[in-house]
Amino acid sequence: MSNSRRGFFRELASAVASARDATAEPGPPPPPDLTDEEIARYSRQLVLPEWGAAAQLAVSEASVLVIGAGALGAPVALYLAGAGVGRIGILDDDAVELSNLHRQLLHFTPDIGAPKAESAAAKLRYLNPGIVVEPYQVRVEADNAAALLEGQDLVVDCSDSFATRYAVNAACCAARVPLVQAGVLGMSGLVMSVKPGRTACYRCAFPVEPQDAPRCADAGVLGPAAGVIGSLQALEALKLLTGVAPAIADGFLQVDLAAAEFLRVRVRRRGDCPDCGAL
Amino acid sequence: MVARTLDITGLTCPMTWVHTKLALERMAPGDALEVRCRPGEALESVPRSAREAGHGVTVEGTTIRIVVGG
Repeated sequence: MSNSRRGFFRELASAVASARDATAEPGPPPPPDLTDEEIARYSRQLVLPEWGAAAQLAVSEASVLVIGAGALGAPVALYLAGAGVGRIGILDDDAVELSNLHRQLLHFTPDIGAPKAESAAAKLRYLNPGIVVEPYQVRVEADNAAALLEGQDLVVDCSDSFATRYAVNAACCAARVPLVQAGVLGMSGLVMSVKPGRTACYRCAFPVEPQDAPRCADAGVLGPAAGVIGSLQALEALKLLTGVAPAIADGFLQVDLAAAEFLRVRVRRRGDCPDCGAL
Repeated sequence: MVARTLDITGLTCPMTWVHTKLALERMAPGDALEVRCRPGEALESVPRSAREAGHGVTVEGTTIRIVVGG
């Protein structure tokens, strides 16, 4: 895919979405034809009023990096592959363990011991052979994040540590790559979309790491809770790629699944934010 | 004004509307699409979906005439 076309279909999809009610305005140029197989495969999203050929082409032209092939990364990668995102990078340096299987839906019992990135990529290729899946067996650190973001249209951070989330946020802000952040513990979690330089970033929302922040290994997580949060992340990714609906930006969605409560929390950009303040 | 035809007689819901919708997306306001369909479900639901999408619709027999945006 050439860089010159990057974003063209996303802008086209946004134009189509925003012009749906403005029938007096001349419409955007017609997008290229979808194949019969693509029409059949994606028919249940193509039939949506908000979706259409332009949105489908926008996702098919997109490159998305999913950081983490675990509890959040599984639903994210599955839904993005199913939706037809053209290139999915899936990044994880761990191997599949027995204790992963209750919540990490991309890995099965015979996969124990296999690299998670490879195990995930194999399933995603079965799901949708029409897309490109690239597994990366690396851990995101502050010093390699920028290189990993090269050529990506969107990053979905499905990592399980504050250190990784801060590193990913900083790198996405520096490269101005849109980002979907999330976290899940127990039966609760949060989801936040970031458009660097335009909306509040993860560091704006959480300037310092909470001192009492529990870790998954300490606190545990129920599989369906991770499934809900990861599904919300996937939905945010599709919104950001196509513009068919507003993303959860300038704030985050706090999800308490024990109480069955969703709370939208507003966040303002911070002028002194070390990650996005200078953008 | 451009007139196009589309045959959805071999399709069932929701593919009847999927193909009609994709054809309409490729047309300009004021253009007309004549959709040939079988009696039954498609003849009921395709006109309704087209009207809900903001298009003008007339039905004659098993032919649905849809004017984009109007």
